[in-house]
Amino acid sequence: MFQSLDKYRSMIRINKDVPSMPFIILGAILLFLGFIGVVRVFWQGHEAVYGVTRQVPWGLLIATYAYFVITSTGLAFIGGLGHAFGVTVFAKMSRRIVLLAFIILLAGFTQIGMELGHPFRLLYLFILSPNFSAPIVWMGLFYSIELVILAIELYVVFNPSGTNHKVAAVLGFFALLVGIVATSNLGFVFGSLTARPFYHGVYFPMYLVVSGIAGGAALLMLIYNIIYKFNVPDFYSDAMAGLGKLMGICLGVMIFLLSWKIVSSLYTQPQDSVEAVTTLLKGPLSSHFWIGEILLALCLPVALLLISRVKNLKALGMAGLAFMIGMFFTRYDFIVAGQLPPMRAGLEGAGVETIAGLVQYSPSVGEWMVFALGLGLFLFLYFMSERFLVLDEQTRQ
Amino acid sequence: MIGNKMTRRKFLGISAASAAGVAFAPALTRVVRASEKTNDYSILPKGKREFIASNCDMCVNKCGIICEVVEGKLHKINPNPKNIKSRGMLCAKGNAGAALPYSPDRLKTPLLRTGKRGEGKWKEISWDEAFKLVAKNLADLKEKYQNRSCVAFASTEGFQEEFYYYLVNSFGSMNTVRHTTLCLSSNIQGWSSVFGVFPDADLQHAEYVIMLGSDRAQALITPDSVDFQRFKPKGQKLIVLDPRFTETAAKADRWYPVKPRTDQAFVLALINVIISENLYDHAFVETYTYGFEELKNLVVEYTPEWAQAKCEIPADEIRQIAREFAYHAPRSVIYPGRRSAFYPNEVYIRQTFAILAAICGCWDTIGAVVPKSSVKLNMHNVIFPFFMLSQPRVDKQAVGLVKDVVPDSVACPMVGTGLPVDSCAFLSEKDGSWGSFREAVLQDNPYPVRGFFCFKQNPVQSVPNVQKTLTMFEKMEFICVIEQQMSDTAWYADLVLPHSTYLESWDPVHNLGGIEPIVEFRQPVIKPLFDTKTMFEIAGGIIHEMVKIPSLWDDIEPADFEAFKKDILEGVLDKPIVEYIQHQVLEYPGAFEELLKEGFYTPDGGKARYGSTRNPDFRFKTKTGKIELFNERYKEFGLFPLPKYCEPSALPGPDQYRFLVGRTAWNTHTSTQNNPYLWEIQKENTIWINTAEAKKLGISQGDEVRVKSKVSEQTIKAYVTEKIRPDCVFYVNGWGRQSPWMSQIYKRGASESEILEDVLDTISGSMCMHETFVTITKI
Amino acid sequence: MADKQYAIVLDTKKCLNCKACTVACKFENFVPVGDDTYRIWVTEMPLQGKFPRLHQEYQPSQCQHCENAPCEKVCPTKATFRTREGVVLVDYKKCILCKACMAACPYDARFVSDLHEAVEKCTFCMHRVSEGREPACVETCPTKVRVFGDMNDPASDAARLLSSRQHYQLKPEKNTRPRLFYLA
Ligand SMILES: Nc1nc2c(c(=O)[nH]1)N[C@H]1C(S)=C(S)[C@@H](COP(=O)(O)OP(=O)(O)OC[C@H]3O[C@@H](n4cnc5c(=O)[nH]c(N)nc54)[C@H](O)[C@@H]3O)O[C@H]1N2
Ligand SMILES: Nc1nc2c(c(=O)[nH]1)N[C@H]1C(S)=C(S)[C@@H](COP(=O)(O)OP(=O)(O)OC[C@H]3O[C@@H](n4cnc5c(=O)[nH]c(N)nc54)[C@H](O)[C@@H]3O)O[C@H]1N2
Ligand code: SF4
Ligand code: SF4
Ligand code: SF4
Ligand code: SF4
Ligand code: SF4
Ligand SMILES: [Mo]
Repeated sequence: MFQSLDKYRSMIRINKDVPSMPFIILGAILLFLGFIGVVRVFWQGHEAVYGVTRQVPWGLLIATYAYFVITSTGLAFIGGLGHAFGVTVFAKMSRRIVLLAFIILLAGFTQIGMELGHPFRLLYLFILSPNFSAPIVWMGLFYSIELVILAIELYVVFNPSGTNHKVAAVLGFFALLVGIVATSNLGFVFGSLTARPFYHGVYFPMYLVVSGIAGGAALLMLIYNIIYKFNVPDFYSDAMAGLGKLMGICLGVMIFLLSWKIVSSLYTQPQDSVEAVTTLLKGPLSSHFWIGEILLALCLPVALLLISRVKNLKALGMAGLAFMIGMFFTRYDFIVAGQLPPMRAGLEGAGVETIAGLVQYSPSVGEWMVFALGLGLFLFLYFMSERFLVLDEQTRQ
Repeated sequence: MIGNKMTRRKFLGISAASAAGVAFAPALTRVVRASEKTNDYSILPKGKREFIASNCDMCVNKCGIICEVVEGKLHKINPNPKNIKSRGMLCAKGNAGAALPYSPDRLKTPLLRTGKRGEGKWKEISWDEAFKLVAKNLADLKEKYQNRSCVAFASTEGFQEEFYYYLVNSFGSMNTVRHTTLCLSSNIQGWSSVFGVFPDADLQHAEYVIMLGSDRAQALITPDSVDFQRFKPKGQKLIVLDPRFTETAAKADRWYPVKPRTDQAFVLALINVIISENLYDHAFVETYTYGFEELKNLVVEYTPEWAQAKCEIPADEIRQIAREFAYHAPRSVIYPGRRSAFYPNEVYIRQTFAILAAICGCWDTIGAVVPKSSVKLNMHNVIFPFFMLSQPRVDKQAVGLVKDVVPDSVACPMVGTGLPVDSCAFLSEKDGSWGSFREAVLQDNPYPVRGFFCFKQNPVQSVPNVQKTLTMFEKMEFICVIEQQMSDTAWYADLVLPHSTYLESWDPVHNLGGIEPIVEFRQPVIKPLFDTKTMFEIAGGIIHEMVKIPSLWDDIEPADFEAFKKDILEGVLDKPIVEYIQHQVLEYPGAFEELLKEGFYTPDGGKARYGSTRNPDFRFKTKTGKIELFNERYKEFGLFPLPKYCEPSALPGPDQYRFLVGRTAWNTHTSTQNNPYLWEIQKENTIWINTAEAKKLGISQGDEVRVKSKVSEQTIKAYVTEKIRPDCVFYVNGWGRQSPWMSQIYKRGASESEILEDVLDTISGSMCMHETFVTITKI
Repeated sequence: MADKQYAIVLDTKKCLNCKACTVACKFENFVPVGDDTYRIWVTEMPLQGKFPRLHQEYQPSQCQHCENAPCEKVCPTKATFRTREGVVLVDYKKCILCKACMAACPYDARFVSDLHEAVEKCTFCMHRVSEGREPACVETCPTKVRVFGDMNDPASDAARLLSSRQHYQLKPEKNTRPRLFYLA
């Protein structure tokens, strides 16, 4: 027993040169805020603490859930490319990729766990009484599998006796596959809402998968820049460039998809779909959309990638940062925009309050606290790992 | 409806309303009740479940209810489908009654004022102390003023009101004021001037209905509110005249936003057409009526063209309506309605309605207006002593007084129609006239009134011109209010006595008959929750203390005093009230059991009674014994005997709007707004302003505006709508409350009675609530 | 014999906008006071026309008990289900409060109940129906706008109204096949 633990000693080290402490402290503070949020939820109940309503039942926490888990599957995708499809440039990042994917998936699970009224019921009811026509069941199933695969992958990539590449390849492949299935299913969780045509069709499943991959790449580019204080060693140039290109392709696809989504929504004019798109273009979500989704998530990264010709690693880091912020708005808007058109007009007596024909939603302090929990968990766990674990394949060589 | 969503907010589990809601939710034992093929639909607690019949008391209608009581806790009030008056309905208020006993804002024990009046400092005292205190104050006032009428007693109808009168008559004051002069006394007066009685409308069978100034969809009156939609015969036509597009107007075949105060011109023109085109019921007129020739002469000038200029309804449509009305007669109804405290010439307006019914023979037959039926009840023959020190009513004696209340603008033209301005001509002795009563008290004319009792009435908010009422209160040395909640009136009292709710008490039998005769009563459906009493018990308690004070009985014969104690105390108030009830229905075997089972009783299956007066020998309760188109008694009094058209004496000036009064279906007067289940429907009142006018005034939806009348001003949010005439504004009564114990609604919205001027109709003594002109400014 | 198929037929032309139904439902079903907590509502439809030619209708509504119920389909735990009588119900103990059903319902008929700690909505008052009583909202209505009954029983008032009068359902484009029928 102790002997086998001994083996792992080579995995542990205190990395003084990595600027992890500020993030660990930040993570701890956020975790603490999150903890307060959790206590409040248990004390006062979901309804009192969260700002979600009857008309907008899904709010910030579903957005942050999506933000985290989709990024995770994006990371798994990139990891899978390395392991399974022999895109070897990313191989040298595989520990960080798997670790990030795993931790960020956990962070996502905190969000859904706090969002669900009865997370524990879910655990047994998914087994006792699953409704296979419900996309949530599939999404839940695939994300759970994804977590298991990532856990095994973690074990494999951190195996001190060296990574078994065959196993890693198989795992990587499945992580990639299950990730895509899970995320596209998440898209269908929305697509299956009869009430909300905005979500219907193939657009969201695709957009989510592609933006997730971009997110994975962006996060890696950002993390590497942080670890190396915006001075990423040449050793990673090819990997970083690979990430940049991958992200570039994804951004291209996203722009393509988004343009057609908007055009088709406006053109075919299914009532609530048009209203939802309008909330983005000129409605209550327009600042999110233009600044967050368009400027930060699309234009700025594209510009940085083009200007730096995917070579300047600092620029890649900046592109990653811009994208990760922008992507937050993208997720939020996606969740909220589709729900703002009311199912019943806000007429007297209808029990629906609308402003300019739309219902209102803004996240409550409690919801932000739960987001802090997820973000804090991610920062804390990840940067603790950075501080104490050997994450660079380079040093092993 | 009226802008309730302006104040919507997400409801967090901590506010008072939800406290009430939660308090009411059953002990959260989640008992799954097996039913059909599924699991839990309801979480009714397990235990003894009873269904107890009684009657609603959330408004005047007294709809039949069946209360579902689980383990002694009232879960739900259901309508009684068998009740022939309420026809199986229960409105929002009736349903919300289930929260009434459990309201945290209820009065739970007698309260004695300790601070200044209206300061809100109270001391809880025992009923014993309270009874002693009341008796002592009555004795002191009597001693001091040597006049029993120096204490006034206000009340509104209710099944316990007769016991209030036990108290009144045991003290011997002549000054009682009831709600009727705020409500329907001019209507009763107008119809009675023609038919001797105030009839009901047979909406179930009428083919043609003209409804003027009544809002049956929101101002609920059973059975009419049910009948006019649920049981309306196929093809029935409904014509609605109302300056507002009410829910009733929305149901009309034709709606006319009549110019306020000119309905009479419209109906006179109908009469003109019907007579000039010879469409009236000759046989009926000949057999039953008196004064047709005089009427004929009067209406010659009232042509549709003449009327169009007054009421703004096109002449040809008036002609058409007249012909249709006559064509469908006798199954034509000109709807009597209820509240008529509208205008100074209201009695004539209503007289005109009645005359239209009379000349078309739309009387006491299927589909017409029909006199009410009643069930003869066994009376308790109690004789109250004759007190030497009782002086006649203040408002009856105070000659010349009304002149001061009737503004010049109103008074002058009234003289033209023969209305006296020196007194109220036809006071019903018991009802009094709120307006002239208050005026007399304010002027100490002819004698001082220094004590005030109030039962089931909230005059501070239901009598126009709140300031005057409060000034009147300042004159009082003792104010005692018997209430369920800390109403604005109770708030200014010295002693507040908590009354039990209708769900906790036995109430005597009362006639509620319309076309179908029916009597109702009440039995307790739950045990009293607090230290409250009914008027029966309160009267008994006070009178027992009174008999202990010799000075209270020194102006009657000693023998009378002994008889009094025997009759009133031993004979009635000391006995269980159930005996009183049983005595009332003694003549009908099985009736008491029927009451216990169903909450109501009808002697002959409650069949509609038509035609009791359709007998040439029948004597109507008029001077001539005929249906009087020409009123002999009015002539005697120097009033105009015919419904001569009276020009509106005052019109809104430039920038002024006529203020209208009305109802919402989910509140009763000033009683129910604090009930959380009704409060959530409407959280404050808003003022209706016509879209075009609002634009002129720069007011948009939800803006705060200042409403200013001659007597006061209020601020309120605007409800900008097409549903009202441009020259009128409206908001509903019951808001802008002064009592902080009405926790849900304290200071929310605006008080109506604050801004209403106190204008009087001198024939009926009625308030004229649509004679206030206001200016509106955006804040 | 075929199962009963429950439905409500509404004659909204008779609706007074009196809100009796909404209050009755709250008491009957322990629905707490609150702006978001209601199973049933009465909408004032937009005022038509210009003064003085006005027209207005009131539209009472509630869960439509869709035959093709979007809420049922998306419910991951089968907490939402249809009974054999076509009544869509929530088994509160199976609800994980994922709120997918709320997002899926095209009628905004559902809400989160603090009392049940689950999503709830109109149950057609099945606990009353099983005792031979009418749903609370049906029973209390002054003008009996709603008629509750078994569509499979041709003698029921509901079936008779459906066979004799023109009617429509709300949002037919959603293909939910509601069991609330509005008389034209
Ligand atoms: N829900 C509810 N129901 C009630 C009550 C309640 O408080 N709440 N109160 C009960 C009582 S005590 C009463 S007295 C009745 C009152 O019920 P109704 O007798 O129907 O009287 P209101 O509803 O007060 O007002 C009638 C209508 O007259 C209109 N009006 C105003 N001026 C004129 C005019 O010059 N001409 C015409 N043609 N119309 C005019 C007003 O706009 C209003 O819509 O309601 C009873 N029913
Ligand atoms: N401004 C304005 N004034 C009006 C009207 C209007 O529309 N606008 N309408 C007029 C009309 S038609 C009428 S009928 C009158 C009605 O006016 P009021 O007769 O004053 O009726 P409410 O305003 O309902 O006040 C009744 C009070 O009795 C209390 N109460 C209820 N039940 C009981 C009980 O069982 N026992 C006791 N002791 N108290 C009880 C209630 O809490 C409430 O405070 O108002 C008239 N005044
Ligand atoms: S109309 Fe409503 S408040 Fe009045 S008695 Fe009937 S149910 Fe009660
Ligand atoms: S109306 Fe909504 S809640 Fe009701 S069955 Fe249809 S989708 Fe489900
Ligand atoms: S909230 Fe409850 S009822 Fe609705 S879909 Fe989720 S588990 Fe099913
Ligand atoms: S049927 Fe029952 S649960 Fe449904 S709205 Fe009516 S009262 Fe409420
Ligand atoms: S109870 Fe009947 S009349 Fe009243 S609002 Fe409801 S459906 Fe309309
Ligand atoms: Mo009244």
